[in-house]
Amino acid sequence: MSELNYVGKSFKRKDGPDKVTGKAVYTQDVKLPNTLIGRILRSPHAHARIVRIDTSRARALPGVKAVITVDDTKGIKHGFVETPRYPPDQEVLARGKVVHVGEEIAAVAAIDQITAQQALALIDIEWEILPAVFDPEEAMKADAPEIHPSHPKAPGKHSNIGGSTETEWGDVEQGFAESDYVREDRFECQLRTHGYLEPHATLAHWESDKLNVWTSSMGVFVKRAKLAKVLDLPYSSVRIHKAYVGGTFGGKIDLYSHEYCASRLSMITGRPVQITASREEIFSAFRHAQPLILEIKTGVKKDGTIVAQRIRAINNAGAFRGSGVVVIFLAWGFTMIPYRIPNLKYEGFSVYTNHTVRAPQRGHGAPKVRFAIESQMDMIAEALGIDPIAIRMRNAREPGEQLPNGDNTHRGGLAACVALAAEKSDFLAKRGRNREQSPKSTIRRGIGIGASAYMGGTLIYPNGSGVIVKMNDDGSVIVLTGAIDIGQGSETVISQIVAEELAIGMGDIKIIAADTDVTPQDIGAWISGNTYVTGNAARQAAGNAREKLLQVAAEKMDVPVEQLLCRDKVVYHRLNAEVKMTYREVIAASVASHRGDTIIGEGFWRTMRDEPTHPSLATTKGRWTENYAFSAQVAEVEVDIETGEAKLVKALTVHDCGFPINPQLVKGQIDGQISMALGHAFMEEVLTKNGYTLNPNWLDYRMPTIHNMAISEDADVITEQYRVGQPYRTKEVGEGLISGILAAMGNAVYDATGVRLHSTPFSAEKILAGLRAVEYAAKKSRQDEAAQA
Amino acid sequence: MEMSASDAARAGIAAGTKSRTRLISLCVNGEWHEVAVKPRNMLVEVIRDTIGLTGTKASCESGTCGACTVLVEGRPVLGCITLAVECDGKQVQTVEGLAEGEKLSAIQEAFLDQGAVQCGFCTPGMLMSATALLRRNPKPTREDINKALEGNLCRCTGYNAIVDAVLQVSGQGGVEPVME
Amino acid sequence: MIFFDFDYERADTLEGAVALLARMPGSARALAGGTDLLPGMRMENIKPGLLVSLGAIEPHEPELLADGSLRIDALSRLSSLENSSLLRSKVPMLAESAHVVGGNQIRQMGTLGGNLCQETRCMQLDQKHDYQFVAPCFKRGGDCCYPFPRNKHNVCWSVYMSDIAPALIALDAEVEILGQAGSRRIRVEALFTGNGLTPLSLGQAELLRAVVVPPAPRGFAWGFHKSTVRGGLEFGMAVIAVALHLAEDGNTCADARIVIGAVREGPARATAAERSLKGAVLDGKRLAQAAAEAAKEISPLPHHGFTKRHLTDNIRVYLRRTLAQAVERAGGPGRSS
Repeated sequence: MSELNYVGKSFKRKDGPDKVTGKAVYTQDVKLPNTLIGRILRSPHAHARIVRIDTSRARALPGVKAVITVDDTKGIKHGFVETPRYPPDQEVLARGKVVHVGEEIAAVAAIDQITAQQALALIDIEWEILPAVFDPEEAMKADAPEIHPSHPKAPGKHSNIGGSTETEWGDVEQGFAESDYVREDRFECQLRTHGYLEPHATLAHWESDKLNVWTSSMGVFVKRAKLAKVLDLPYSSVRIHKAYVGGTFGGKIDLYSHEYCASRLSMITGRPVQITASREEIFSAFRHAQPLILEIKTGVKKDGTIVAQRIRAINNAGAFRGSGVVVIFLAWGFTMIPYRIPNLKYEGFSVYTNHTVRAPQRGHGAPKVRFAIESQMDMIAEALGIDPIAIRMRNAREPGEQLPNGDNTHRGGLAACVALAAEKSDFLAKRGRNREQSPKSTIRRGIGIGASAYMGGTLIYPNGSGVIVKMNDDGSVIVLTGAIDIGQGSETVISQIVAEELAIGMGDIKIIAADTDVTPQDIGAWISGNTYVTGNAARQAAGNAREKLLQVAAEKMDVPVEQLLCRDKVVYHRLNAEVKMTYREVIAASVASHRGDTIIGEGFWRTMRDEPTHPSLATTKGRWTENYAFSAQVAEVEVDIETGEAKLVKALTVHDCGFPINPQLVKGQIDGQISMALGHAFMEEVLTKNGYTLNPNWLDYRMPTIHNMAISEDADVITEQYRVGQPYRTKEVGEGLISGILAAMGNAVYDATGVRLHSTPFSAEKILAGLRAVEYAAKKSRQDEAAQA
Repeated sequence: MEMSASDAARAGIAAGTKSRTRLISLCVNGEWHEVAVKPRNMLVEVIRDTIGLTGTKASCESGTCGACTVLVEGRPVLGCITLAVECDGKQVQTVEGLAEGEKLSAIQEAFLDQGAVQCGFCTPGMLMSATALLRRNPKPTREDINKALEGNLCRCTGYNAIVDAVLQVSGQGGVEPVME
Repeated sequence: MIFFDFDYERADTLEGAVALLARMPGSARALAGGTDLLPGMRMENIKPGLLVSLGAIEPHEPELLADGSLRIDALSRLSSLENSSLLRSKVPMLAESAHVVGGNQIRQMGTLGGNLCQETRCMQLDQKHDYQFVAPCFKRGGDCCYPFPRNKHNVCWSVYMSDIAPALIALDAEVEILGQAGSRRIRVEALFTGNGLTPLSLGQAELLRAVVVPPAPRGFAWGFHKSTVRGGLEFGMAVIAVALHLAEDGNTCADARIVIGAVREGPARATAAERSLKGAVLDGKRLAQAAAEAAKEISPLPHHGFTKRHLTDNIRVYLRRTLAQAVERAGGPGRSS
């Protein structure tokens, strides 16, 4: 047996028909009568004290129904991270001073957009400009302007430290002493942003002591928790409703000021309040990704085996803690998972600057860390005369390997991924070929590889997912899940699992999702937890319903449960197909004889069942996850050596996702990440000057268009299996496949041109400058040789 | 509290003269609507808020992403930078007008077959651009497809599946449905 | 959305539009495709009291005149120009320049006249000013410059980005302008002042009526290239339009036009480089030299995140390639490099 009918097949999306017909309802599509429009007053200064604020003229404007400042709030703080070491640090509106351009100061609700806009202009503020700092290394200096006091436990005499992560094992100095080759490099990555098509939008309606909210988010339960907290309401008074979400990529997890403001303004006016961020606001005031500086010193044996590594990561965190303290923890993780490092010293600093606050962006530090480490790996390999495949195979972690934090790689397939990637791309044959020729064409082709790892379903509020499967009396089901579909296809994947476990069709399943009143809690569509955590909860819930069905069927059919099987909404005797009961009959029988049991299955799942919480962000101590995913990606690029213009021509992704529940959905995730990675590599940068965003639009923040897409191939390394009735382990595919390819592109540019870039993006200007330097160095070395001759 | 004239002026309200609200007629997906608009109202606002067809999306309000693409007299235009008054008396087609009753159009089916939809926010605009292309050129080359869709940004799919969907409809490139 | 109210009138004829514009001098603007004007109004860089719509005026089809010139209605949509078989055969460089503008929707909406009349651009200018760059710069009637703070009063280095203007100038095209006093005709070049604050020489109640492209002389060859990062949906880093008139022998250059757009306050002609080509044999070395000279002569302004150095490098390489492309089109053997 063991043939799967649903899991492992590329079923069409459940939400597809609604999305192609325009029926799918996103937050802005929800219309309530008497809705007021809200607007936010934002800071024009990077760092300034609010000496005096007067909203009386705004309140007096006809059509304005409410105006709030921080004095109208409960003064409760929130934060991306809320731990004893990193308590919440941000209020929903500025108090006393502003710390970044665009920071929220006040909010108004009015009868229409124009009135709301006019009201903002009538809010008078007297400012005292304060000195500002924008560069994190400048901000760390003892005499830098202080944005917030440094974290009391931050090591060293730095300023503006929001948080730090420090960990070590072994003895790195001894390790370097014993190494045959040591090198030290510095890498930097630019400020880039998520670029989701759906803007931030929130509709809030306070009615009969219940706050109803529709908002574009990545997890309704974390939103409810944070919103209820800052509003000082019990969770049961806040309902986050289901809405489809038009892309997130990490930029819609936190509590955002406008979500609070819409809610509070509705509570004051008694009317629904809608706030939509303009694209300029999103680019210039909302949260971008984390620009990291990485200084890496690595010592190896002459066969390439890593002996010791010392890493210093500096995060330009922006003006509040945001997710900065998480990214410096993750940077350690993304360093230590793929390769064995016997001696490690890691320190990371999250540094306040007068920039907008940061958020995770797809990969949350992994792209930058892997770019740095994989670039250095290739440099080490070249110095030792080893090829890039061999050095990775030498250091790659094996399946079943114990990690320094106590986790295990389980059936981790990194080595298999590297080997398969090298084979499928014909890597060793292609490498170095183009650069050595000098054909008439100015185009050089290069190939590069990057390995990466990611993890899924780690513990973060609400830590676990529940799913309920309710049988309808005709044998179809309604599945209640808190999972939110942000485009990744969660509703489809959950349906496939339920269909498989319950032996019913995809059309027999209706999903009710992402409503905090109706659906069980869910871990959220971030931390890559959906398929593994919520999927297992769905499996368990469907299995629970199936058990109940079989129990009743066994009684009615007078057959032991083990002799029964389910197929197409019918329970059959294994040995005699004539002996059967339809689900409809079973359910009727259950209601008749099981005290009215209508057959509801429940399931729940969480990772790290023996761990109370996630590891320490500051020390990295503690078990993290049981679910590590690995990948190796190969990039082929073309560079025009006269202009420096480079592009990705072909991407190969070999990934260990465990097994794919829906292969085409996996392919969709891969393609999306290739696109985002090539944007990171060649074209995207948020340009700022003195805290102002110069390019807050899609003309000058260049995301890939249809012209820029590369050929994207992929292959699975299957390391896990799905068996009906058994817990399964898939790994993640939504975030981990954007890093190896970024590193691969850097290595491919080097292969094509001899230009080694230590920062992204790999702009034409940088490549051209690199080509000139390479040419100059070659010329000089020829001159030196000639002089010596 | 009353607002002083100087405050009103400072807030940019022109005392006295306001532009006239006027009635215009739009034939949207075959149905005539008479709507009251001000000259400053964009077509996408009227479609979404006045007529109530929310399938067309507003994303950047500045004509740089294509999410608001609708067809006006068969021409793909950006609803966020088209004045509604300019469309008086004209035929407008939105994503809601592509299917015939329950029957999806070929390009809508192809998007589902190829996995060309993820978050779905760019999808309506993308479908309208693709529809206009296929009407004008039933057998587009890859270059034709790129040129026709270059004004529609997508952040989720990386575009390959979208191109495959158009090729599937045009019967070219041997592209078969990949989703069941 | 646009946050202020304005009046709106529809003109039935261009003459009618001119009359309506004349009624509110300084405050009335013509609306064609709106792809430049309406975003500008949204950002409140321009706040007309009256929009005069040209939307009811049907443009004439491109017309081949008796003397061999081509007359193109200024209200022609860019999509009709890129797809016109007449243009593709007679003035392919014009069709090509229309083809690279923006994205497909922009080309469906935008007009030839509108493309020529677009405002100059600058990152700090082209965004809403609610909390960034709030105090008006010189271009907005104020007294500062954000990208170049040391610029003296009223020196504005905003950049003119039209893709089509360089092509028309390289073609020696003329533009017919309708005003209250009737029509006048000037070279397209003369439409541009080179001043970032007031980039166009048009009067307030004047409209472009048509562009007239003279017949190509014997031995005519063209080259066109728009440098971008992504290959579409962008204004150019630099826009390069070249026209060469080759002498009878097919090798020597009788005359040349080198026009670079998107790097200065108006389209810029590299007249010294043009002169250096006259009478020269157009081998690879000569083309490279001319390109290097022209790039230096034009002296591109840094714009939209690109440095002057990089723009100069980009122009030098692509101008050389574009010149070579032109020579190859003329059928010169072994000329490309």
